[in-house]
Amino acid sequence: MRYSELMATDPDAIDAAFFDALREHYSEEQIVELGLFIGFNLGYHTFFGTLKFYPMFSPDGRLITQAESEQIYGAAPASLRSSEATK
Amino acid sequence: MTYVEPLSREAITDPEMRELMAQGEALGVPDDLFPRIVARAPEQAKPFMRALLFSHAEGNVDHRLKEIIRILLARFAGDEYFAALRSRKAREMGLTEERIEAGCGDYEDSDAFTEAEKCALRYADQMYLDATKVDAAFYAELKKHYSEAQIMELGAFIAFHYGMQMFMRSLGATAPRSPA
Repeated sequence: MRYSELMATDPDAIDAAFFDALREHYSEEQIVELGLFIGFNLGYHTFFGTLKFYPMFSPDGRLITQAESEQIYGAAPASLRSSEATK
Repeated sequence: MTYVEPLSREAITDPEMRELMAQGEALGVPDDLFPRIVARAPEQAKPFMRALLFSHAEGNVDHRLKEIIRILLARFAGDEYFAALRSRKAREMGLTEERIEAGCGDYEDSDAFTEAEKCALRYADQMYLDATKVDAAFYAELKKHYSEAQIMELGAFIAFHYGMQMFMRSLGATAPRSPA
């Protein structure tokens, strides 16, 4: 989680010592997998955010239209709202 | 040296991965560093290499414009590695360093770019600078110049390459000694 946060907000803080700390918990393969996954999501979530689309399913699991989803989830995806609420 | 040591070329034995690495080297983007690092996660490496190459060199948006956008993004990401690489295909199509610099600089006031090209450059520029400006009005402007398919191609290209540039920056990757 620290790796994802730093890649997005403070990449200069990611140094050799940080990778040494990662290696205490993850293999080299897992670190590369994590880094690719984080980079991919970092790029795409901003792009998706500009497209203003909403979840395909209602909170009770129904497949819904974008119009209905917008009514349910409002001006921002529920995931972003809950993230902001926890700050 | 990157924080994750790249595999040696000889250690990459998967034929498809070797082919993708050769395609990257022929294009000039990426050189062998990116694939030698991602090959440490073999199941991830091939789809990521395919996406990197395909989104950049294929599709229905001018490759030269994508190349300028890619370099603009790499500079914004602070990624010395991808910022230093150059597409041979774009160079063969006539893209010059002067035009790259113009596209990465004050392109809005430049006569070197069409309104469509400026709009695409603005798309990349604003995406990670101030995404709130990439709104319905912005997409309406993009649609004056590009089809929906081209806009998705551009957006996905921008998102993917920026993400990979941030990944390489996080690894401490620097510019190759002899840029292609």
